[in-house]
Amino acid sequence: MVGLKHLRHIVLMLVTGVLLLPEAVQAQEEVTSAIRRYKQYEQSTGYYEEYEAKPRRQRPLVGVPGVSQGLFPYSPFGAEVRNRSRLADSHQGIKFYDRRRCEECHVKETMDIHTVRANLTCRQCHGGEPIASLEHYYSPLNPIRKHAFVCAKCHEGASASYAAYVVHEPAPGSSDARRAFPGLYYAYWFMILLLAGTLAFFIPHSFFVGLRELLRKKRKGEK
Amino acid sequence: MNQTLRIKRFSKLDRLFHLSLMVTFLIQAATGFGRIYATAGWGQKVCNVFGGYDNASLVHHWVGGLMMAGFAIHLLYLLSRIRWNNLWQSLFGPDSLIPTLQDARHLWQRLWWFFGLRNAPKLDRWAYWEKFDYWAVFWGMPLLALTGVMMLYPFWTSQYLPGWSLNIAGLLHRAEAILAVSYIFIVHFFIGHLRPTSFPMNQAMFSGSVILEEVEEEKPAWVERLKKEGRLDTVAAKAPALWYKVIYFIFGYVALATGIYLLIMGIAYSGQVRLH
Repeated sequence: MVGLKHLRHIVLMLVTGVLLLPEAVQAQEEVTSAIRRYKQYEQSTGYYEEYEAKPRRQRPLVGVPGVSQGLFPYSPFGAEVRNRSRLADSHQGIKFYDRRRCEECHVKETMDIHTVRANLTCRQCHGGEPIASLEHYYSPLNPIRKHAFVCAKCHEGASASYAAYVVHEPAPGSSDARRAFPGLYYAYWFMILLLAGTLAFFIPHSFFVGLRELLRKKRKGEK
Repeated sequence: MNQTLRIKRFSKLDRLFHLSLMVTFLIQAATGFGRIYATAGWGQKVCNVFGGYDNASLVHHWVGGLMMAGFAIHLLYLLSRIRWNNLWQSLFGPDSLIPTLQDARHLWQRLWWFFGLRNAPKLDRWAYWEKFDYWAVFWGMPLLALTGVMMLYPFWTSQYLPGWSLNIAGLLHRAEAILAVSYIFIVHFFIGHLRPTSFPMNQAMFSGSVILEEVEEEKPAWVERLKKEGRLDTVAAKAPALWYKVIYFIFGYVALATGIYLLIMGIAYSGQVRLH
Protein backbone atom coordinates (compact mmCIF):
# COMPACT_ATOMS: atom_id res chain seq x y z
CA MET A 1 0.00 0.00 0.00
CA VAL A 2 1.48 3.32 -1.02
CA GLY A 3 1.17 5.86 1.73
CA LEU A 4 0.38 9.53 1.46
CA LYS A 5 4.06 10.33 2.02
CA HIS A 6 5.09 8.18 -0.97
CA LEU A 7 2.44 9.79 -3.14
CA ARG A 8 3.82 13.21 -2.26
CA HIS A 9 7.30 12.05 -3.22
CA ILE A 10 6.11 10.72 -6.54
CA VAL A 11 4.29 13.97 -7.36
CA LEU A 12 7.32 16.01 -6.33
CA MET A 13 9.60 13.87 -8.55
CA LEU A 14 7.24 14.20 -11.49
CA VAL A 15 7.11 17.98 -11.13
CA THR A 16 10.90 18.21 -10.85
CA GLY A 17 11.23 15.95 -13.85
CA VAL A 18 8.92 18.12 -15.93
CA LEU A 19 10.82 21.22 -14.92
CA LEU A 20 14.30 19.81 -15.50
CA LEU A 21 13.77 17.73 -18.60
CA PRO A 22 13.86 19.39 -22.01
CA GLU A 23 10.56 20.70 -23.29
CA ALA A 24 8.22 18.20 -24.75
CA VAL A 25 8.37 18.29 -28.54
CA GLN A 26 5.32 19.66 -30.25
CA ALA A 27 3.68 17.05 -32.35
CA GLN A 28 4.87 17.40 -35.94
CA GLU A 29 1.98 18.28 -38.15
CA GLU A 30 1.55 16.26 -41.24
CA VAL A 31 2.19 18.36 -44.31
CA THR A 32 -0.32 17.54 -46.95
CA SER A 33 -0.48 20.87 -48.73
CA ALA A 34 1.65 21.91 -51.64
CA ILE A 35 3.65 24.20 -49.36
CA ARG A 36 7.00 22.65 -48.73
CA ARG A 37 8.46 23.80 -45.46
CA TYR A 38 12.13 23.64 -46.12
CA LYS A 39 13.04 25.77 -43.16
CA GLN A 40 11.38 23.29 -40.88
CA TYR A 41 13.23 20.41 -42.49
CA GLU A 42 16.47 22.36 -42.47
CA GLN A 43 16.21 22.71 -38.72
CA SER A 44 15.44 19.06 -38.23
CA THR A 45 17.47 16.77 -40.46
CA GLY A 46 18.52 18.62 -43.58
CA TYR A 47 17.48 15.53 -45.45
CA TYR A 48 15.00 15.60 -48.29
CA GLU A 49 13.24 12.84 -50.07
CA GLU A 50 13.68 12.93 -53.78
CA TYR A 51 10.03 13.73 -54.37
CA GLU A 52 10.23 16.59 -51.92
CA ALA A 53 12.95 18.39 -53.75
CA LYS A 54 11.83 17.90 -57.31
CA PRO A 55 9.23 20.37 -58.54
CA ARG A 56 5.81 18.91 -57.92
CA ARG A 57 3.74 20.43 -60.60
CA GLN A 58 4.92 21.45 -64.00
CA ARG A 59 3.68 24.55 -65.74
CA PRO A 60 4.23 24.84 -69.47
CA LEU A 61 6.50 27.87 -69.34
CA VAL A 62 8.52 26.80 -66.34
CA GLY A 63 11.59 24.82 -67.18
CA VAL A 64 14.27 24.01 -64.67
CA PRO A 65 17.62 23.35 -66.33
CA GLY A 66 18.86 19.97 -65.28
CA VAL A 67 15.49 18.81 -64.05
CA SER A 68 13.01 19.44 -66.80
CA GLN A 69 12.88 21.49 -69.92
CA GLY A 70 9.91 23.80 -70.34
CA LEU A 71 8.71 25.14 -73.64
CA PHE A 72 11.59 27.59 -73.64
CA PRO A 73 14.61 25.90 -72.14
CA TYR A 74 17.08 28.57 -71.20
CA SER A 75 19.77 26.91 -73.13
CA PRO A 76 20.08 23.98 -75.41
CA PHE A 77 23.45 23.45 -73.79
CA GLY A 78 22.57 24.53 -70.27
CA ALA A 79 21.96 21.10 -68.87
CA GLU A 80 24.51 19.28 -70.94
CA VAL A 81 27.38 17.39 -69.48
CA ARG A 82 30.39 19.63 -69.24
CA ASN A 83 33.88 18.80 -68.22
CA ARG A 84 34.01 17.97 -64.56
CA SER A 85 30.29 18.50 -64.23
CA ARG A 86 29.57 15.14 -62.63
CA LEU A 87 32.43 14.62 -60.23
CA ALA A 88 32.11 14.12 -56.50
CA ASP A 89 35.08 16.45 -56.12
CA SER A 90 35.04 18.89 -58.98
CA HIS A 91 38.57 20.10 -58.23
CA GLN A 92 40.00 16.64 -58.09
CA GLY A 93 43.51 16.44 -59.48
CA ILE A 94 44.20 20.17 -59.55
CA LYS A 95 47.77 20.77 -58.48
CA PHE A 96 48.39 22.66 -55.23
CA TYR A 97 44.64 22.98 -54.88
CA ASP A 98 44.82 23.54 -51.12
CA ARG A 99 47.10 26.52 -51.68
CA ARG A 100 44.89 28.29 -54.15
CA ARG A 101 41.95 30.66 -53.86
CA CYS A 102 38.63 30.34 -55.70
CA GLU A 103 38.91 33.70 -57.44
CA GLU A 104 42.26 32.83 -59.00
CA CYS A 105 40.40 30.74 -61.54
CA HIS A 106 36.77 31.85 -61.15
CA VAL A 107 37.29 35.56 -61.74
CA LYS A 108 33.98 36.36 -63.42
CA GLU A 109 32.05 34.49 -60.76
CA THR A 110 33.17 36.97 -58.11
CA MET A 111 31.59 39.93 -59.88
CA ASP A 112 27.87 39.31 -59.79
CA ILE A 113 25.26 40.79 -57.49
CA HIS A 114 25.37 37.98 -54.93
CA THR A 115 29.06 38.56 -54.33
CA VAL A 116 29.32 42.29 -54.89
CA ARG A 117 26.07 43.41 -53.26
CA ALA A 118 25.30 40.77 -50.65
CA ASN A 119 28.99 40.08 -49.94
CA LEU A 120 28.50 36.35 -50.09
CA THR A 121 31.56 34.17 -50.10
CA CYS A 122 31.88 31.20 -52.42
CA ARG A 123 31.62 28.77 -49.51
CA GLN A 124 28.28 30.10 -48.37
CA CYS A 125 26.64 28.52 -51.39
CA HIS A 126 29.14 26.03 -52.69
CA GLY A 127 29.95 24.57 -49.30
CA GLY A 128 33.14 23.11 -47.87
CA GLU A 129 35.58 20.65 -49.42
CA PRO A 130 35.14 18.60 -51.44
CA ILE A 131 32.97 20.75 -53.67
CA ALA A 132 30.92 18.42 -55.80
CA SER A 133 30.18 19.19 -59.42
CA LEU A 134 26.79 20.72 -60.11
CA GLU A 135 25.56 17.61 -61.89
CA HIS A 136 26.88 15.18 -59.34
CA TYR A 137 23.86 13.42 -57.96
CA TYR A 138 24.54 14.20 -54.32
CA SER A 139 25.71 17.77 -54.80
CA PRO A 140 23.72 20.34 -52.83
CA LEU A 141 23.84 22.52 -55.95
CA ASN A 142 22.34 19.87 -58.19
CA PRO A 143 19.32 21.59 -59.76
CA ILE A 144 16.99 18.94 -58.35
CA ARG A 145 17.64 20.24 -54.82
CA LYS A 146 19.60 23.46 -55.15
CA HIS A 147 16.54 25.57 -54.30
CA ALA A 148 16.01 23.74 -51.04
CA PHE A 149 19.62 23.16 -50.01
CA VAL A 150 21.16 26.46 -51.06
CA CYS A 151 18.77 29.20 -52.23
CA ALA A 152 16.23 28.71 -49.43
CA LYS A 153 18.89 29.48 -46.83
CA CYS A 154 18.28 33.16 -47.59
CA HIS A 155 15.32 33.16 -50.00
CA GLU A 156 12.81 31.34 -47.88
CA GLY A 157 10.29 29.53 -50.02
CA ALA A 158 12.52 29.23 -53.09
CA SER A 159 11.20 26.81 -55.70
CA ALA A 160 13.14 24.85 -58.27
CA SER A 161 12.02 27.31 -60.91
CA TYR A 162 13.12 30.23 -58.74
CA ALA A 163 16.51 28.59 -58.40
CA ALA A 164 16.86 28.57 -62.18
CA TYR A 165 17.83 32.24 -61.80
CA VAL A 166 21.34 32.40 -63.21
CA VAL A 167 23.51 33.68 -60.37
CA HIS A 168 26.72 33.68 -62.38
CA GLU A 169 25.36 35.43 -65.44
CA PRO A 170 27.53 35.35 -68.54
CA ALA A 171 28.40 38.81 -69.92
CA PRO A 172 25.11 39.44 -71.75
CA GLY A 173 26.62 40.62 -75.01
CA SER A 174 29.20 37.87 -75.30
CA SER A 175 29.25 34.81 -77.48
CA ASP A 176 29.19 32.82 -74.22
CA ALA A 177 25.78 34.28 -73.51
CA ARG A 178 24.63 33.59 -77.05
CA ARG A 179 25.42 29.92 -76.57
CA ALA A 180 24.44 29.45 -72.95
CA PHE A 181 21.72 32.06 -72.38
CA PRO A 182 20.30 33.22 -75.73
CA GLY A 183 17.35 35.08 -74.15
CA LEU A 184 19.68 37.36 -72.25
CA TYR A 185 21.92 37.81 -75.29
CA TYR A 186 19.12 38.90 -77.61
CA ALA A 187 17.45 41.08 -74.96
CA TYR A 188 20.79 42.82 -74.44
CA TRP A 189 21.49 43.49 -78.09
CA PHE A 190 17.92 44.59 -78.72
CA MET A 191 18.16 47.16 -75.93
CA ILE A 192 21.63 48.30 -76.97
CA LEU A 193 20.48 48.87 -80.54
CA LEU A 194 17.39 50.69 -79.30
CA LEU A 195 19.49 52.89 -77.01
CA ALA A 196 22.21 53.59 -79.56
CA GLY A 197 19.69 54.08 -82.36
CA THR A 198 17.54 56.52 -80.40
CA LEU A 199 20.46 58.59 -79.19
CA ALA A 200 22.32 58.40 -82.49
CA PHE A 201 19.29 59.85 -84.20
CA PHE A 202 17.99 62.34 -81.67
CA ILE A 203 21.24 63.89 -80.44
CA PRO A 204 22.32 65.08 -83.92
CA HIS A 205 18.67 65.94 -84.61
CA SER A 206 18.57 68.20 -81.54
CA PHE A 207 21.92 69.67 -82.45
CA PHE A 208 20.73 70.63 -85.92
CA VAL A 209 17.47 72.03 -84.56
CA GLY A 210 19.45 74.22 -82.19
CA LEU A 211 21.92 75.30 -84.86
CA ARG A 212 19.24 76.12 -87.38
CA GLU A 213 17.19 78.13 -84.87
CA LEU A 214 20.30 80.00 -83.79
CA LEU A 215 21.09 80.95 -87.38
CA ARG A 216 17.52 81.99 -88.10
CA LYS A 217 17.44 84.20 -85.00
CA LYS A 218 20.63 85.88 -86.07
CA ARG A 219 19.28 86.50 -89.52
CA LYS A 220 16.22 88.12 -87.99
CA GLY A 221 18.44 90.34 -85.90
CA GLU A 222 20.32 91.44 -88.99
CA LYS A 223 17.13 92.65 -90.60
CA MET B 1 -6.16 95.42 -76.21
CA ASN B 2 -2.50 95.46 -76.95
CA GLN B 3 -1.90 92.22 -75.09
CA THR B 4 -0.02 89.36 -76.69
CA LEU B 5 -2.51 86.77 -77.86
CA ARG B 6 -2.13 83.32 -76.36
CA ILE B 7 -3.77 80.06 -77.31
CA LYS B 8 -4.38 77.01 -75.17
CA ARG B 9 -2.12 74.03 -75.79
CA PHE B 10 -2.44 71.76 -72.75
CA SER B 11 -5.43 71.22 -70.50
CA LYS B 12 -5.09 71.25 -66.72
CA LEU B 13 -5.24 67.46 -66.67
CA ASP B 14 -2.51 67.19 -69.33
CA ARG B 15 -0.28 69.36 -67.19
CA LEU B 16 -1.11 67.40 -64.08
CA PHE B 17 -0.10 64.19 -65.86
CA HIS B 18 3.17 65.76 -66.95
CA LEU B 19 3.85 67.18 -63.49
CA SER B 20 3.25 63.89 -61.69
CA LEU B 21 5.32 62.09 -64.29
CA MET B 22 8.16 64.57 -63.72
CA VAL B 23 8.15 64.10 -59.96
CA THR B 24 7.84 60.31 -60.01
CA PHE B 25 10.35 59.95 -62.84
CA LEU B 26 12.98 62.00 -61.03
CA ILE B 27 12.46 60.05 -57.81
CA GLN B 28 12.69 56.76 -59.72
CA ALA B 29 15.81 57.95 -61.52
CA ALA B 30 17.48 59.01 -58.27
CA THR B 31 16.56 55.93 -56.24
CA GLY B 32 17.30 53.66 -59.18
CA PHE B 33 20.70 55.23 -59.82
CA GLY B 34 21.41 55.07 -56.10
CA ARG B 35 20.89 51.33 -56.25
CA ILE B 36 22.83 50.78 -59.48
CA TYR B 37 25.78 52.73 -58.10
CA ALA B 38 25.46 51.46 -54.53
CA THR B 39 28.84 49.73 -54.69
CA ALA B 40 30.50 52.93 -55.85
CA GLY B 41 30.56 55.60 -53.15
CA TRP B 42 28.29 57.94 -55.05
CA GLY B 43 25.30 55.58 -55.04
CA GLN B 44 25.49 55.38 -51.26
CA LYS B 45 25.25 59.15 -51.05
CA VAL B 46 22.25 59.25 -53.35
CA CYS B 47 20.57 56.49 -51.33
CA ASN B 48 21.26 58.39 -48.11
CA VAL B 49 19.04 61.19 -49.36
CA PHE B 50 16.20 58.69 -49.16
CA GLY B 51 17.36 57.19 -45.88
CA GLY B 52 19.78 54.51 -46.98
CA TYR B 53 19.83 51.66 -49.46
CA ASP B 54 16.82 49.79 -48.08
CA ASN B 55 14.65 52.86 -47.81
CA ALA B 56 15.64 53.95 -51.30
CA SER B 57 14.43 50.56 -52.54
CA LEU B 58 11.20 50.98 -50.65
CA VAL B 59 10.67 54.43 -52.13
CA HIS B 60 11.47 53.03 -55.59
CA HIS B 61 8.83 50.32 -55.20
CA TRP B 62 6.09 52.60 -53.89
CA VAL B 63 6.72 55.37 -56.39
CA GLY B 64 6.75 52.69 -59.08
CA GLY B 65 3.27 51.72 -57.88
CA LEU B 66 2.20 55.35 -58.08
CA MET B 67 3.51 55.57 -61.63
CA MET B 68 1.57 52.48 -62.60
CA ALA B 69 -1.58 53.94 -61.08
CA GLY B 70 -0.95 57.16 -63.00
CA PHE B 71 -0.50 55.19 -66.19
CA ALA B 72 -3.78 53.35 -65.61
CA ILE B 73 -5.59 56.65 -65.02
CA HIS B 74 -3.98 58.02 -68.17
CA LEU B 75 -5.28 55.03 -70.15
CA LEU B 76 -8.81 55.70 -68.91
CA TYR B 77 -8.35 59.35 -69.85
CA LEU B 78 -7.27 58.32 -73.36
CA LEU B 79 -10.36 56.16 -73.74
CA SER B 80 -12.52 59.04 -72.61
CA ARG B 81 -10.95 61.29 -75.21
CA ILE B 82 -11.81 59.08 -78.17
CA ARG B 83 -14.80 60.42 -80.06
CA TRP B 84 -16.51 57.26 -81.19
CA ASN B 85 -18.86 58.96 -83.65
CA ASN B 86 -15.87 60.32 -85.53
CA LEU B 87 -13.34 57.61 -84.85
CA TRP B 88 -11.01 58.06 -87.81
CA GLN B 89 -10.57 61.79 -87.32
CA SER B 90 -10.26 61.33 -83.58
CA LEU B 91 -7.47 58.76 -83.96
CA PHE B 92 -5.56 60.02 -86.97
CA GLY B 93 -6.56 63.67 -87.13
CA PRO B 94 -4.14 66.52 -86.38
CA ASP B 95 -5.21 66.78 -82.73
CA SER B 96 -4.27 63.14 -82.11
CA LEU B 97 -0.85 62.00 -80.98
CA ILE B 98 -0.88 58.91 -83.16
CA PRO B 99 1.94 59.08 -85.73
CA THR B 100 0.84 59.22 -89.34
CA LEU B 101 2.48 59.21 -92.74
CA GLN B 102 2.46 63.00 -92.59
CA ASP B 103 4.92 62.85 -89.68
CA ALA B 104 7.36 60.78 -91.74
CA ARG B 105 7.10 63.39 -94.52
CA HIS B 106 7.70 66.20 -92.05
CA LEU B 107 10.75 64.42 -90.64
CA TRP B 108 12.14 63.91 -94.14
CA GLN B 109 11.54 67.54 -95.07
CA ARG B 110 13.11 68.75 -91.84
CA LEU B 111 16.27 66.73 -92.44
CA TRP B 112 16.71 68.74 -95.65
CA TRP B 113 15.76 71.92 -93.82
CA PHE B 114 18.64 71.38 -91.37
CA PHE B 115 20.99 72.13 -94.25
CA GLY B 116 18.83 74.88 -95.69
CA LEU B 117 17.94 72.83 -98.75
CA ARG B 118 14.18 72.92 -98.33
CA ASN B 119 11.59 75.01 -96.51
CA ALA B 120 10.60 74.06 -92.99
CA PRO B 121 7.65 71.63 -92.90
CA LYS B 122 4.32 73.17 -91.92
CA LEU B 123 3.87 71.46 -88.58
CA ASP B 124 0.48 70.97 -86.99
CA ARG B 125 -0.34 70.85 -83.30
CA TRP B 126 1.91 67.89 -82.48
CA ALA B 127 5.24 67.64 -84.25
CA TYR B 128 6.79 64.24 -84.92
CA TRP B 129 9.41 64.61 -82.15
CA GLU B 130 6.70 65.50 -79.66
CA LYS B 131 4.79 62.40 -80.69
CA PHE B 132 7.97 60.38 -80.25
CA ASP B 133 8.39 61.79 -76.73
CA TYR B 134 4.88 60.72 -75.86
CA TRP B 135 5.07 57.18 -77.25
CA ALA B 136 8.55 56.54 -75.88
CA VAL B 137 7.15 57.07 -72.39
CA PHE B 138 3.97 55.23 -73.26
CA TRP B 139 5.80 52.01 -74.14
CA GLY B 140 8.60 52.47 -71.66
CA MET B 141 6.34 52.59 -68.63
CA PRO B 142 4.63 49.20 -69.08
CA LEU B 143 7.99 47.57 -69.78
CA LEU B 144 9.49 49.05 -66.63
CA ALA B 145 6.36 48.22 -64.66
CA LEU B 146 6.22 44.62 -65.82
CA THR B 147 9.90 43.87 -65.28
CA GLY B 148 9.84 45.79 -62.00
CA VAL B 149 6.90 43.81 -60.63
CA MET B 150 8.58 40.60 -61.79
CA MET B 151 11.67 41.43 -59.74
CA LEU B 152 9.64 42.72 -56.80
CA TYR B 153 7.78 39.42 -56.53
CA PRO B 154 10.34 36.84 -57.67
CA PHE B 155 8.58 33.87 -56.04
CA TRP B 156 5.32 34.68 -57.73
CA THR B 157 7.09 35.24 -61.05
CA SER B 158 8.93 31.95 -60.85
CA GLN B 159 5.64 30.14 -60.44
CA TYR B 160 4.68 31.09 -63.97
CA LEU B 161 8.01 31.67 -65.66
CA PRO B 162 11.37 30.00 -65.19
CA GLY B 163 13.66 31.73 -62.71
CA TRP B 164 16.08 32.84 -65.41
CA SER B 165 13.40 35.19 -66.72
CA LEU B 166 14.39 37.33 -63.73
CA ASN B 167 17.85 37.75 -65.23
CA ILE B 168 16.24 39.06 -68.41
CA ALA B 169 13.77 41.21 -66.47
CA GLY B 170 16.66 42.80 -64.58
CA LEU B 171 18.51 43.54 -67.80
CA LEU B 172 15.47 44.98 -69.54
CA HIS B 173 14.52 47.11 -66.53
CA ARG B 174 17.97 48.58 -66.24
CA ALA B 175 18.51 49.10 -69.97
CA GLU B 176 15.10 50.72 -70.45
CA ALA B 177 15.73 52.95 -67.43
CA ILE B 178 19.10 54.05 -68.80
CA LEU B 179 17.50 54.69 -72.17
CA ALA B 180 14.70 56.76 -70.63
CA VAL B 181 17.04 58.71 -68.39
CA SER B 182 19.50 59.51 -71.15
CA TYR B 183 16.75 60.46 -73.58
CA ILE B 184 14.96 62.73 -71.10
CA PHE B 185 18.08 64.31 -69.63
CA ILE B 186 19.76 64.91 -72.98
CA VAL B 187 17.20 65.25 -75.75
CA HIS B 188 14.04 66.29 -73.92
CA PHE B 189 15.86 68.82 -71.74
CA PHE B 190 17.61 70.29 -74.76
CA ILE B 191 14.34 70.70 -76.62
CA GLY B 192 12.56 72.09 -73.56
CA HIS B 193 15.24 74.40 -72.21
CA LEU B 194 18.32 74.91 -74.33
CA ARG B 195 17.40 75.34 -77.96
CA PRO B 196 17.22 79.01 -78.96
CA THR B 197 13.42 79.23 -79.34
CA SER B 198 12.87 77.58 -75.94
CA PHE B 199 15.66 79.13 -73.90
CA PRO B 200 15.55 79.63 -70.95
CA MET B 201 12.50 77.40 -70.66
CA ASN B 202 9.60 76.25 -72.79
CA GLN B 203 6.72 77.21 -70.53
CA ALA B 204 3.85 75.66 -72.48
CA MET B 205 3.69 72.52 -70.32
CA PHE B 206 3.31 74.62 -67.16
CA SER B 207 1.36 77.67 -68.26
CA GLY B 208 -0.79 75.57 -70.57
CA SER B 209 -0.78 78.20 -73.29
CA VAL B 210 1.55 79.46 -76.00
CA ILE B 211 2.00 82.88 -77.56
CA LEU B 212 0.18 83.00 -80.87
CA GLU B 213 2.95 84.85 -82.65
CA GLU B 214 5.50 82.21 -81.68
CA VAL B 215 3.32 79.30 -82.52
CA GLU B 216 2.47 80.76 -85.92
CA GLU B 217 6.11 80.42 -86.75
CA GLU B 218 6.70 76.95 -85.33
CA LYS B 219 3.31 75.29 -85.90
CA PRO B 220 1.81 77.24 -88.85
CA ALA B 221 -0.56 74.46 -89.90
CA TRP B 222 -2.16 74.39 -86.46
CA VAL B 223 -2.92 78.13 -86.40
CA GLU B 224 -4.12 77.99 -90.00
CA ARG B 225 -6.47 75.15 -89.14
CA LEU B 226 -7.81 77.01 -86.09
CA LYS B 227 -8.39 80.12 -88.17
CA LYS B 228 -10.12 78.18 -90.92
CA GLU B 229 -12.41 76.46 -88.44
CA GLY B 230 -13.00 79.79 -86.72
CA ARG B 231 -11.92 78.34 -83.39
CA LEU B 232 -9.13 80.79 -82.66
CA ASP B 233 -11.26 82.71 -80.17
CA THR B 234 -12.42 79.60 -78.36
CA VAL B 235 -8.84 78.53 -77.59
CA ALA B 236 -7.67 81.96 -76.46
CA ALA B 237 -5.98 81.82 -73.08
CA LYS B 238 -4.83 84.19 -70.38
CA ALA B 239 -1.19 84.75 -69.55
CA PRO B 240 0.00 82.86 -66.45
CA ALA B 241 0.18 84.82 -63.20
CA LEU B 242 3.60 86.04 -62.19
CA TRP B 243 3.74 84.10 -58.90
CA TYR B 244 2.87 80.94 -60.80
CA LYS B 245 5.59 81.67 -63.33
CA VAL B 246 8.15 82.09 -60.56
CA ILE B 247 7.15 78.75 -59.07
CA TYR B 248 7.35 76.78 -62.27
CA PHE B 249 10.64 78.36 -63.29
CA ILE B 250 12.18 77.31 -60.00
CA PHE B 251 10.60 73.87 -60.25
CA GLY B 252 11.73 73.42 -63.85
CA TYR B 253 15.28 74.37 -63.05
CA VAL B 254 15.41 72.11 -59.99
CA ALA B 255 14.28 69.25 -62.22
CA LEU B 256 16.83 70.21 -64.86
CA ALA B 257 19.64 70.39 -62.31
CA THR B 258 18.68 67.05 -60.77
CA GLY B 259 18.62 65.39 -64.15
CA ILE B 260 21.92 66.83 -65.33
CA TYR B 261 23.54 65.93 -62.01
CA LEU B 262 22.35 62.32 -62.22
CA LEU B 263 23.41 62.07 -65.85
CA ILE B 264 26.90 63.45 -65.36
CA MET B 265 27.60 61.51 -62.18
CA GLY B 266 26.11 58.39 -63.75
CA ILE B 267 28.51 58.65 -66.67
CA ALA B 268 31.44 59.52 -64.40
CA TYR B 269 30.92 56.50 -62.16
CA SER B 270 29.84 54.08 -64.89
CA GLY B 271 33.29 52.49 -64.88
CA GLN B 272 33.01 51.50 -61.24
CA VAL B 273 29.89 49.37 -61.46
CA ARG B 274 28.67 46.63 -63.74
CA LEU B 275 25.83 48.24 -65.65
CA HIS B 276 25.44 44.86 -67.32
